[in-house]
Amino acid sequence: MGVMPAELTTPATPASLPRGDRVRLWTATRVGDAVALASRLAGKGSGASIRGQILTRLAPDAFAQLLQGRRVLAVSGTNGKTTTTHLLAAAVRAGLGADADRLVTNADGANLHYGIASALSQRRRADIAVLETDERVVSDMIAKARPELLVLLNFSRDQLDRHHEIKALGRAWRVALAAAGKGGPTIVANASDPLVVWSAGTAARVIWVETVTAWSADGALCPGCGAVLTHTETAAGPRWRCPGCELHQPEPQYRVSGDQIVLPSGKMVRPDLQVPGSFNVSNAACALAAAIEFGVPLPQALAGMHTVTAPAGRFATATFGATTARLLLAKNPAGWVEALPLAASDPVILAIDSVAADGKDVSWLWDVPYEQLAGRTVVCTGPRAQDLAVRLSYAGVDHEVIPDLRAALGERPRPVDVIATYTPFQRLLKMAGLR
Amino acid sequence: MSVEIVLVYQSLLGIYGDRGNAMVLRQRLIWRGIDAVLTEVEPGDPVPATGAVYLLGGGEDAAQVSAVRGLQADGNLFRAIDNGAVLFAVCAGYQIAGKTFTVGEQDTVIEGLGLLDATTRRGTDRAVGEILTSWTHPDGSESLITGFENHGGFTYLGADATPLAKVEVGIGNAGDGTEGAVQGRVIGTYPHGPVLARNPELADHLLSVALNRELEPLPRPEIDELRRQRITAVRKAGNRR
Repeated sequence: MGVMPAELTTPATPASLPRGDRVRLWTATRVGDAVALASRLAGKGSGASIRGQILTRLAPDAFAQLLQGRRVLAVSGTNGKTTTTHLLAAAVRAGLGADADRLVTNADGANLHYGIASALSQRRRADIAVLETDERVVSDMIAKARPELLVLLNFSRDQLDRHHEIKALGRAWRVALAAAGKGGPTIVANASDPLVVWSAGTAARVIWVETVTAWSADGALCPGCGAVLTHTETAAGPRWRCPGCELHQPEPQYRVSGDQIVLPSGKMVRPDLQVPGSFNVSNAACALAAAIEFGVPLPQALAGMHTVTAPAGRFATATFGATTARLLLAKNPAGWVEALPLAASDPVILAIDSVAADGKDVSWLWDVPYEQLAGRTVVCTGPRAQDLAVRLSYAGVDHEVIPDLRAALGERPRPVDVIATYTPFQRLLKMAGLR
Repeated sequence: MSVEIVLVYQSLLGIYGDRGNAMVLRQRLIWRGIDAVLTEVEPGDPVPATGAVYLLGGGEDAAQVSAVRGLQADGNLFRAIDNGAVLFAVCAGYQIAGKTFTVGEQDTVIEGLGLLDATTRRGTDRAVGEILTSWTHPDGSESLITGFENHGGFTYLGADATPLAKVEVGIGNAGDGTEGAVQGRVIGTYPHGPVLARNPELADHLLSVALNRELEPLPRPEIDELRRQRITAVRKAGNRR
C-alpha cells in the first residue's frame, strides 16, 4: 500500500518480556477473562473493570507490560475524552484501511489502569493503541507507555471532593513530561485553555489547537505565578496572557472556526460529524491534528471521524418502554454548559447523583446556568433530585421531582432529552441494553 | 432603593458553587417583594461601598493570596462593614477573613483581612464530607445547619470571635466541636452546599441583620424536604464519612 505515509504503517517494536512475566500475564489474562464472563452472565455489566482488577492483582505489572510493544496514542482532559478517543481511533482505523485490526482502544470509557489493561489484554496482537486516559493516569502513561502522541483537551473543576486543587494534576503532568525529556510524547494540546498550556509547558514538542469553549471560569489565574490573566481580542481571535510571567496563549497550528477546522496550511475543512455540539468540533480538531501527525491522510481521517455516532452511549437515542430518549452525559459545570443547549425537549429530564464517580458535593449545581431552561418543565430525577429542585426554584424554572429514574422516563408521547451525571448515565445505558 | 448583594471575586473564590449564596439572598428578598440586586465584582475593579451583604466563597491557595491583596488595596469592603454591612465568608473566604492563614507546600503564613479573630493552619487531615452543626440564634433558639465541608486548613478562634455553631457530624473549625466564627457583622463558616440554599434560616438571619429588621417567614416545602433528606443522610453516615 504505497499511498500510505510511512509513519502510519511503521510496526511497533515487539515487546520483549522475560518468559516468567509472559506466563504470568497470560495466566492472569485467562483468569480475568473467566471472571469477566461470569460478571457478564450475572448481568453486572461488561466485566471490563473486574477483568482489569483481577489481571493487575495476578500480574502487578500488567499495565506496563501490556503497553509494551505498542505505538500508543493517549487522550486526556476533563471533558470529551471518550468522544475524542472514538474520533481518533476511527480516523486511524480509516487510515489503516485493511489493516484496521492493528488498532486496539478502550472504547467503553474505562480509562483507569484497570480499564486500560483490560482492553489491551483482549487484543495482544494489535500494535497501535488509542487510549482514553484518566487525568490521574497520564503521568504513569507517559513514564510506562512512552506514548508517541498525547492529546490534552481541557482542564476544569471536576469532583473537587476528590481532587481539591485543579492545578495539582497539571503539576504532575509537567513533572512527567520533564522527566520524559526529548523522548517524551508529542503533545496535541488546547491552546485556549491556560491550565492545559501550562501543563504541557515542559513537553519537548507541542502541536497547538485553538478551540472554542463556553466555559472559562477555571482559567482566571495564571497557573504558573498566580497573577490574574488578561484577555484581549486580537485580529486572530481572543488571546490570553499572563502579566506576571511568560505564560501566554501559543499561536496555534490548527484552529476551530465555527463548525470548521482550519488546518496549518490555512485550508478549512468541515468535519461533518454525527456527534452534536460545538465542543465536539473542538474535540474533532484535536483528534484530526493527532491523526494527521500520526500519518493518517486528511480524507481518511475525516471519513473515519464521520462514522462516530454514540461513543460509549453518549448522544445515543434509546427506548425505555414507550419513551424515546436521547442520552447526554454531563459530569461537571463545563460539561453542563455544553450539554444544556443541546437538550431541546420539553419536558427535559435531568438526573443527578453524588456517589464518588459523580462528585460527592453537589454544590456545583449552582455553577450551572439552569436559568436558560425557564419556560420549559424539568423532570428532576436521581438520588439528588431534591438538590436540583431547590436550585431550579431559585432559578425560576418549573419542575417536578420523580426520584426513580425509570418512573421519571415514564411513558412519553414525544422524544425527550436526558442529561445525566456519570452514575445515572451508566444506569440508563444498562436499562436501555446499550452496555 | 434596592438592597445590594455583592459577590466578591468569583474568578478567584468561586470554585465550589458558593455563588449560590448570593443568588439565594437576592431571591429571598425578591420573593418577599423587596427590591434586590446582585453585583459581581472582579479583581481590578472597585468593590462597591454600597452593599448590604458581601460574600466571599471557596477557592485555591494562590487565589486566596490574590483576593487578600485586591481587597486590601481597594479598602471598600472594610469601609462598608464599618458602615453596617454584613460579610458572609465561606471556606477559603472564611480563612482569609481571619488574621493569618497558610498556603502552599511550605505552609507560608499569609496575613488575612483581620476581620475575624481567627488563625488558620494546615490541619491533621483534610476535612471532606457532609457536615451537620447546630446553630444558636441570637435569641437563644437553635437550628441545624447542613452542608458539605472540604478544607485542609484548621481554624482556631481568638477571644474576640465566637463559634457560629456546634458540630454534630463532621470536623468543622479544627475537630474541636466548633464550626465557623461570628464577630460583629462578620460571619465565617466552612460548609458549601451552598450553605444558604440548604439553610434558609441562616440566609434570613443575614438579611435581617443587614436590613436591621425582621423578615416574614417564607415557607418552601421543597427546601424543608431537601433539609430532611440531607440531615437524615448525614446522621446515618455519621462520622464514617
